[in-house]
Amino acid sequence: MQSKITGRVWKYGDDVNTDVIFPGKYTYSVSDPQEMARHALEDLDPTFVANVQPGDVIVAGKNWGCGSSREQAVTCLKEIGVGAIVARSFARIYFRNCINQALPIAACDAVDGVETGEEVTIDFAAGTVTTPRGTYTFPPLAPEVMEILETGGLIPYVQKQLGVK
Amino acid sequence: MAGQTIIEKIFAAHTAADASVEPGSIIWLDLDVRTARDFAGANVVKNYQTHYGETPVADKTKTFFTFDLVVPPSNIPYANNQQVCRTWAREQGVGVYDVNAGIGSHVVVEEGLAYPGVTLVGTDSHLNILGAIGAFGQGMGDQDIAFAFKTGRTWFEVPPTMKVVVKGEYQYPCTARDLTLAILDKLGSKGALGRAIEFYGPAIEALDLPGRITLASQVTEMGGIVGFIPPSEEVLAYARQQSGRADIPSFAADPDAEYVETVVVDVSGLEPLIACPPNPANVVPVREVAGRRIDSVFFGSCTNGRFEDFAAVAEIVQGKRVAPWVMATVVPATREVYQQMLRSGVLQTLFDAGFIISNPGCGGCASGHLGMTGVGQVNISTSNRNFPGKQGAGDTYLASPVTAAWCALKGEITVPEAS
Repeated sequence: MQSKITGRVWKYGDDVNTDVIFPGKYTYSVSDPQEMARHALEDLDPTFVANVQPGDVIVAGKNWGCGSSREQAVTCLKEIGVGAIVARSFARIYFRNCINQALPIAACDAVDGVETGEEVTIDFAAGTVTTPRGTYTFPPLAPEVMEILETGGLIPYVQKQLGVK
Repeated sequence: MAGQTIIEKIFAAHTAADASVEPGSIIWLDLDVRTARDFAGANVVKNYQTHYGETPVADKTKTFFTFDLVVPPSNIPYANNQQVCRTWAREQGVGVYDVNAGIGSHVVVEEGLAYPGVTLVGTDSHLNILGAIGAFGQGMGDQDIAFAFKTGRTWFEVPPTMKVVVKGEYQYPCTARDLTLAILDKLGSKGALGRAIEFYGPAIEALDLPGRITLASQVTEMGGIVGFIPPSEEVLAYARQQSGRADIPSFAADPDAEYVETVVVDVSGLEPLIACPPNPANVVPVREVAGRRIDSVFFGSCTNGRFEDFAAVAEIVQGKRVAPWVMATVVPATREVYQQMLRSGVLQTLFDAGFIISNPGCGGCASGHLGMTGVGQVNISTSNRNFPGKQGAGDTYLASPVTAAWCALKGEITVPEAS
C-alpha cells in the first residue's frame, strides 16, 4: 500500500448504504469482479461508472456503507480502481470488509473541504487528508489493522503469518 | 482495573488469557459457531476453495449453512448458488439448514446453538440479533466467513459499550416494535456507530424473547455492532432447554463497568410509530402519515416473524377481511413458527382474512424473493429496512405487526385501535 494517495474526488453524503453501492438484485447473478464493477454506485450516481478513473477517491459523509454485509460493495469499488475512501465515519461491517480487501480508508471530515472533481491527498503516515480548503486529520488505524492493509488484505496477511505461499 | 461490560466478558472468555480486552484493542476471537446463508454462501465457498483448496474446515460440527433468503429458489442463478453450497457442504461434512428451515438467525436460537455467552458469525448483517439472547452475533463479508470456516476465529476490534436506559412503560396498541422505533428515533442511524449497546430498564426486562429479538434486530440500523439485552429468567430457562446445557454462565456486566455514553429513552405515553422511506431511522408517529393509500403489507422477517407477532395480527383480523386492493403476505420466521401457527389456528384465521401465507424464510424483506414492490407501490412492512431498492422499486414503511394489521384491513396507513 502506498503511504500517500492523491486522487480526484467523487463526493457523496451521509448514510450511503450497500444497496446503492452494489444493488441487491445483482448479488446472486453477478460474481465476476469486473462485472460487479460495472454496477458500482448504479442507484446513487449513474455517472460514476462511466467517468471514474483508476486512483479516484470517494469522499463522503457519515456512516458510509451501512446496511447489508455484502462484500461486493467493496469489491466493485476496488475493482473499478477506487484508490481510497474517506468518510466522516464508516459502518463497521463495511470498514472491516475494506481492511480485508486492502482498500485504504480514512475517517475524517474532509468532505467539508472538497467538491467532486477536485483533488485530495491522503497521507497515511501523517494521518492527514489535504483538500483544496483545508487539511483534516484522522486517527491512525490500529497497528494490527494497518499490517493487514499493508500486506494486501486478510488472506495475504494470514498466509504471511502462517508462512505459506 | 475497571469492571467489564457484557461484550468484554464474552470476548475475554473467547480469546487468549493474556489478551487485553479493552475498547480499541484488537483480539483474535474464538468462534463457537460460524454460518453462511444462501445469500453470499456461494461466494464464501468460492473464496474458501480459492484460498484453502480442498482442506477441511476447522470444525465441521461448528460450521453450518442456513438457507433463508430465497427459499426455495425463485430462479436458476439462485438455485445454482444454493446447490454450490449444498455440494460443498456434503464434501466437507458440514450441516445445512436447507430451504425449509427458516431464518438462520432464528434457527440457531431454536436449535440451541446460540445461547448466552456464545460467539457466532455469519453472512447475515442482522446476526447481531443474537444479543436478544445474550450471545455475540456478527455479520461479516465472504472473505471473513471463509476465514472463520477455516480457522474457527476472526480478528475483532473490541468496541466501546454504550448504555440505553428505557424509562417508563408503554401500553397496547404499542408493542416491542414501537419501543424499538422510539429508540431508533432517539439514536438515529449513527447513534451507536461502532459501539456495543446494553439495554436496561423495566420495559426492557418485561420483554419476552420475540420482543427482545425485535429490538436487537434493529441495532444494525442504529449503526451498532451488537445490542445486548441481559437475559431474564424466562430467557435463560429457554436457552437451557434448547441447548441442553444446565450450566450457562452469567455474562452480566460488572457494576463498575465503563460506558462511553448513557442514553435515556422515556417511553411513557408512547404512541404507535412508523419509519417512512427512505431509511429505518426516519421515524414519525403513525398519525402523521395516516390516510395514505397502500397496496401491500408484508408480515415477517427476522424483526417480527415470530408466532407471537402473527397471533397479535390474528386477534385483530379475526372475522374480517383485508381491503380488496391490498396484497397481504405472511412469512413465518421458521418452520417451528409455522407449526405453531398451524396448531393454534392462527394460520386459519389469517387465511380466512385473505392473507397469502408462504413457507418460512426471509420472504419479502429483500428483493429477489416473493412480494417485490413495483414503481409507485406503497408497502407496509414489519421487516427491518426500507432503503430504496431493498424490496424493489416501491416505497416501504416499517411498522409493528399491530399497526400493519390495521393498515391491511383499512387499505391505508391507519393508527391502530387500542382494543
